[in-house]
Amino acid sequence: MELVAQLLGNEGARMVVGLIAVIALVSVNALFLIWMERKVAAHMQLRPGPMEVGPHGAIQTVADAIKLMGKELITPAEVDKPIFWLAPIVIFLPVLLSFLVIPFSSTWIIKDMNVGILLILAFSTLSVLSILMAGWSSNNKYAVFGAIRSVAQNVAYEIPLLVTVMSIILMVGSFKLTDIVAAQSGVWFVAVQPLAFILFIICATAETNRAPFDIPEAESELVAGFHTEYTGMRFALFFLAEYTNMFIAAAVATVLFLGGWQGPILPGVVWFLLKVYAVIFLLMWFRWTFPRLRFDQLITFAWKILIPLAFVNLLITALVLKLR
Amino acid sequence: MIELLGIEEKTYTLNLGPQHPSTHGVLRVLLEMDGEFIIKAEPVIGYGHRGHEHMAENRNYTQFLPNLARVDYLHALAYNQCYCMAVEKLLDLKVPERAEYIRVITCELNRLTSHLLWFGAYLMDLGAFTPFLYCFDDREHLLDLLDGLTGSRLTYCFFRFGGVPVDIDADFVAGCRAFVSRLRSRWDDYHNLVTKNVIFIHRTRDVGIITRDQCIKYGITGPNLRGSGIPYDIRKSEPYSAYPEFDFEIPIGSNGDIYDRYIVRLAEMEQSLRIIEQACNKLPDGPIMAEKVPKRIKPPVGEVYQAVETARGEFGMYIVSQGDVKPYRIKLRTPSFANMSIFPEMAQDNLVADLVANLGSIDVVIPEIDR
Amino acid sequence: MLKDNLIKALAPLNLEKVAEGDYAKTGYHLEVAALPAQLPDVAQAMLAAGCFLESFTAVDLNEAFDLVYHFASFDELCRTAVHLPLGKKKGMPTISHIYPGADWYEREVFDLFGIHFFNHPNLKRLLLPEDADFHPLLKDFGASQGND
Repeated sequence: MELVAQLLGNEGARMVVGLIAVIALVSVNALFLIWMERKVAAHMQLRPGPMEVGPHGAIQTVADAIKLMGKELITPAEVDKPIFWLAPIVIFLPVLLSFLVIPFSSTWIIKDMNVGILLILAFSTLSVLSILMAGWSSNNKYAVFGAIRSVAQNVAYEIPLLVTVMSIILMVGSFKLTDIVAAQSGVWFVAVQPLAFILFIICATAETNRAPFDIPEAESELVAGFHTEYTGMRFALFFLAEYTNMFIAAAVATVLFLGGWQGPILPGVVWFLLKVYAVIFLLMWFRWTFPRLRFDQLITFAWKILIPLAFVNLLITALVLKLR
Repeated sequence: MIELLGIEEKTYTLNLGPQHPSTHGVLRVLLEMDGEFIIKAEPVIGYGHRGHEHMAENRNYTQFLPNLARVDYLHALAYNQCYCMAVEKLLDLKVPERAEYIRVITCELNRLTSHLLWFGAYLMDLGAFTPFLYCFDDREHLLDLLDGLTGSRLTYCFFRFGGVPVDIDADFVAGCRAFVSRLRSRWDDYHNLVTKNVIFIHRTRDVGIITRDQCIKYGITGPNLRGSGIPYDIRKSEPYSAYPEFDFEIPIGSNGDIYDRYIVRLAEMEQSLRIIEQACNKLPDGPIMAEKVPKRIKPPVGEVYQAVETARGEFGMYIVSQGDVKPYRIKLRTPSFANMSIFPEMAQDNLVADLVANLGSIDVVIPEIDR
Repeated sequence: MLKDNLIKALAPLNLEKVAEGDYAKTGYHLEVAALPAQLPDVAQAMLAAGCFLESFTAVDLNEAFDLVYHFASFDELCRTAVHLPLGKKKGMPTISHIYPGADWYEREVFDLFGIHFFNHPNLKRLLLPEDADFHPLLKDFGASQGND
């Protein structure tokens, strides 16, 4: 026990153990989320969903993952090979790194950086690069479409997202995620800043390319968008990244607005995960309820509605803080 | 700006289909695009051409009967009925009233399956997956009902020259009544989930407008025409079978946009329910097959044009008989063929996303275009 | 009455036949027979009367073609059948500039019967593959031909 404590006290060892834990968490979490998504969708659609493999199909996704690993990695003749191979890896790395700063509880955090929230936002932007790489190198018109749309969408929704986060930062006065959680020991920020919460959830849905903002992979228009040409494990990495991104977005929402790990009786980490999965459920609920927006409507929505609202919210926050 | 920078403005070609999630079959649209805007759209059809008209000339009248279900697999019974009516006209046969009622009930049930499928599939085109399964839940009950009576679930071939081969029983009528009340209780769900959805309204209002003038020039029929405000429904304007005996309305739109076509189709389902309800109440007794149906169908020399209202519009059958056991020529005037021919004009100068919305909203069945 | 209006509108065109049809038997209210060259004028008159092109097809009568145009109206029940005799190896004037919907019908007839339409903007095969070298609805095209 003492050894473990000593080991975790060491910065380097903590990182190594942390990264291994994160990789394990990411895989297990993605498998769980995919199962959850299928179950949530099924029950919203009057059907039971996967039922065959394991109790209520619980290990169906494991079987799917094994199947995907066994699939041939097809590299179409006309693709730009190095970039085509690199894109799935590039989408996965920043996702992993974001986990470094997420506080699962007051002690369960790999590295409590003083710029934690900025790190996450910066890394999440990197995923656009990968989508662009994937779309461009595929040498497929549908994939390029998806990539271009994705860039436009992410640029548009990054701004209101950042501005919304700024209004929280103003209230706390720190970029440190643990400080933000600590500041909510009395009232959660969702009660103080309801508009910011709504804006954040909308932007997070768009940033993770989830319906109704799943324009980059709009199935009925673009076949599969940027990952049209990907097969097997490469496709699985994109899939994994999507669900992990969802987890990170929900975790950030939990930290910023829902009081992080705080809650009565249950241990902090349980509370944290409960809240995260509740937010994820909300995102899934959106996906299985709404039709998709049109691309121009999506961009207009960001520039004409979300960004002004986010700035108004920031100004009001600043004003209230100044007057208090 | 582009010229100033010395960049050549280029358009490119995009092949939408023949394998594409939202072409609902093997349709290919050749698009000339400028960015996301469509400069020119050219549908390439014929991938599913099986030569039904040619087949008709090479088999006798009865043998051609099952072919029609393969032309429009979603509203097979209307096609069945049209052919039977046309041949009955040639033979001068009078169909008993009870048979007409059975034809109307089954046809309307079949129309409901078609509209329900459209409703679900169209929402899926727009990116909403859930309504699809709600519709299929309802549709399943219909298919079970029709399955019990006709023996098939999709490609029905139930009507015969002179009537219907099997009578309906009290169970079937009770099943129809149960379905009518079941679907009525679902309207609220559908409207709350879809019709009132802001995103849905924004995607469909003022998009893909078809004007009255275009309808005449292209021969558009069915809900696409009625969405443009023209109350033309063969069941009313050229009454056939037992339709004159029922009280129902023709829902029409005003704008001619996708939203109107959607509303028309939904309202039409309610009217179909009304027809089924009335038919079940007024169902007369009597024979289900005309007397003196010849063993060998050999109509006299002549020609006939018979039209019926299918879920997609006017289906017309032009039969030329030269007094042989085989038809001399059969022309299938399918609604989707005419409805699709307006598509290049609709798609022009629109976004790809709207193209998908438009294509879905005119509700084409590809085998019906290709025949 | 649309029927009377049509009879009046078609009278100056000197058509071979403009007569009332036997609706109960054939489904036509008006039967018209004309020559191919008169077709654009007939179509023009039909459009002016607010009729739409319901259907268009050809019938191979071995020694000649019989082309049949069906017109109907959205406002009133009145179906007009226009029959045109056309010799083999002869062409037809197009009406796709009057009724854009005729574009595809004419392409279909070109495809299946090999009848040429003058001044058609885009006369190429519609249903059959571009490289097909047969016209399946001709009577001398047998049942087993073309499907090797």
